[in-house]
Amino acid sequence: MAAIQFDHRFRAMGGPCRLRFDCEDDALASSVIAQVEAEIQRLEKKYSRYLPDSLTSQICDAAGYDPVAIDEETSALLGFAQTLWQESNGLFDLTAGVLRRAWNFKSGRLPEQSSIDALLPLVGWDRVIWDKTSIVLPLVGMEIDFGGCVKEYASDSAAAVLIRNGIERGLVDLAGDMAVVGVGSVAKPWPVGISHPRQQGAAVAHINLSEGGLASSGDYERCLLIDGRRYGHILNPSTGWPVQGLVAVSVAAPQCLVAGGSATIGMLQPEAEALSWLAELGLPWFAVDSDLNCHGVLAALP
Amino acid sequence: MAARPGDKHSALLALTSSALLLPAYQAARADAPPQFMEMGVRYSKYKEDDTQGKKTFGGSSERYDIDAAQFHLLAPVADNWSVAVDVQWEDMSGASPWFVGESLDGSPKVIMSGASIADTRTEVSVTTRYYYDRGNVGLNYVHSDEDDYKSDAVAVDGAFNSADGMTTYSGAFSYSSDDIEPTQGSVPTNTLKADKDISSAWIGVSRIVSRNAIVRFGLSYTYRDGFLTDPYKFRDQRPDERKEWAISTGYRQFFMGPNGALQADYRYFDDDWGVASHTLNLAWHQNFGFSTQVIPFLRYYSQDKADFFANIADLDQRYFADDYRLSAFGAISGGLRVRHEIGNWAITAVGERYETDESWGVYSGEESPALVDYWRYSFGLDYIFR
Repeated sequence: MAAIQFDHRFRAMGGPCRLRFDCEDDALASSVIAQVEAEIQRLEKKYSRYLPDSLTSQICDAAGYDPVAIDEETSALLGFAQTLWQESNGLFDLTAGVLRRAWNFKSGRLPEQSSIDALLPLVGWDRVIWDKTSIVLPLVGMEIDFGGCVKEYASDSAAAVLIRNGIERGLVDLAGDMAVVGVGSVAKPWPVGISHPRQQGAAVAHINLSEGGLASSGDYERCLLIDGRRYGHILNPSTGWPVQGLVAVSVAAPQCLVAGGSATIGMLQPEAEALSWLAELGLPWFAVDSDLNCHGVLAALP
Repeated sequence: MAARPGDKHSALLALTSSALLLPAYQAARADAPPQFMEMGVRYSKYKEDDTQGKKTFGGSSERYDIDAAQFHLLAPVADNWSVAVDVQWEDMSGASPWFVGESLDGSPKVIMSGASIADTRTEVSVTTRYYYDRGNVGLNYVHSDEDDYKSDAVAVDGAFNSADGMTTYSGAFSYSSDDIEPTQGSVPTNTLKADKDISSAWIGVSRIVSRNAIVRFGLSYTYRDGFLTDPYKFRDQRPDERKEWAISTGYRQFFMGPNGALQADYRYFDDDWGVASHTLNLAWHQNFGFSTQVIPFLRYYSQDKADFFANIADLDQRYFADDYRLSAFGAISGGLRVRHEIGNWAITAVGERYETDESWGVYSGEESPALVDYWRYSFGLDYIFR
């Protein structure tokens, strides 16, 4: 029986998604597609900051008042965010999302410093009180936002759905955050392109992924362009302003979540520090600096 | 605001360990039985070089030839079990050193066992393995049968993964009961019927230190009890007990650029017969695309002699062996292994040359004139039912 490659496109988590996998059975393939979509929707419903019933919204709504009960998955996700906060020396901060109230990337103008200053006291992961069963944001107005890791986690979680269904070769792509299933040495790798930071739709590098994850972070996704200067969506939690660091970072790792966290830490640091941090991390990486020079192991691949 | 100095390599470990606690990775990390049945056949040829004329007294100088055929079957059984069956047939012919004598000029020379010994050996091994969330446990039985030797062995082994999936602890225990009944005819034998027991335990730990590197460490102990003398070697008389221990360590690193992996292993062995040895293994696993792998390998071995080894027997000694395997020597072997996959088929070919010399070792001692050099070739074909 020859395997057929299924290619399913859908929208989830605010972006275009694509699921491709090899499968010999039409019925199984339909079931796999449904399970993957359901799993991603589950995570979106649970963690989206835009949905009023989500756990994230509940935690934000209870800020300053009550602890909110959380499950094991959420406490593990918080634990991962805590590690990112530690490894980035505080640059990755799950509570920094509140700064978005000052930043409107569609407005075409920069925020007033005063509005940023008003929000800065609400930022600080070290003030959040949480354990395995509950979380409380101590100040009214504090917010928490899983946006920095939930899409990557959803890619891995979708890949786990493929594995549970016996799919040996597949690629989950949630708007650039990818997880590849490749069981056995004969699984053909997926050629994957990394988007050019300045040219939409153009690839700046290619990588063959046979298993594991690839995640990218960059200022090309959402940004303000004012007087020829780009203001990306990655904000420094201590200043409230966009980081003037690398323009784009991609990292490959056994898990898309680890790839995404590493890419984000790479984006949050000043250029020189980011490049040395990435170089010493021990994962395949690719970065574009502000002069559009490419760096990293993946840049050297043909 | 880079990570703290000296902390950078731990960043990946910290990220990975905290990520792996999430439920999406729990199932994917569980040890899984093979998904498909696999079957393979292998033919191997082992050929010892003839002993050089100047090192022998008459007799045949032609040494061992072994032809071996192997059959391998591995099949999943239910969701968490697998069963493997391995059968091996060996056909041995040639002569082995009978004893070492002194020539007129005082140099030791080998006396070979004369006419060709011919023997066949059949070995059947059955392994069943259970896979659980954090590891697997195996039970193995091996029966080996040849004209003058029968052996039954059982072994249990287990592997256990740490919660972060980065460390694997493993251990094994085996027991073997062997019966020796030397073939009468070409040379007088040291016993008519004897037996021995071998118990062995092993513990090991391996750890993923980065995405591309893994280190391992192991410790083993073996206790042999019974008739440990070579029944065919003239005057051979060995203690009826042998305690051996070994430590081993290894490192394997994958390199993205050349798409290959370096493997380096070291083992130190010591026993209460006075034998000690160092083994150093180096191999380079070069991938070409996704279906071809070429592995050149090199091994260095150096051994110290047993306390009672001598070329010429001192009749005052309680124990004596002139067996070259208990002498001090060094050995170098090198070879090439090639594996190529075509669809569900895989072809494997191995060629190896082994050469030994008393002067290559780190230990000094009397050179045995019976040291052996050999060639080994192997060709295999595997099929996976998917």
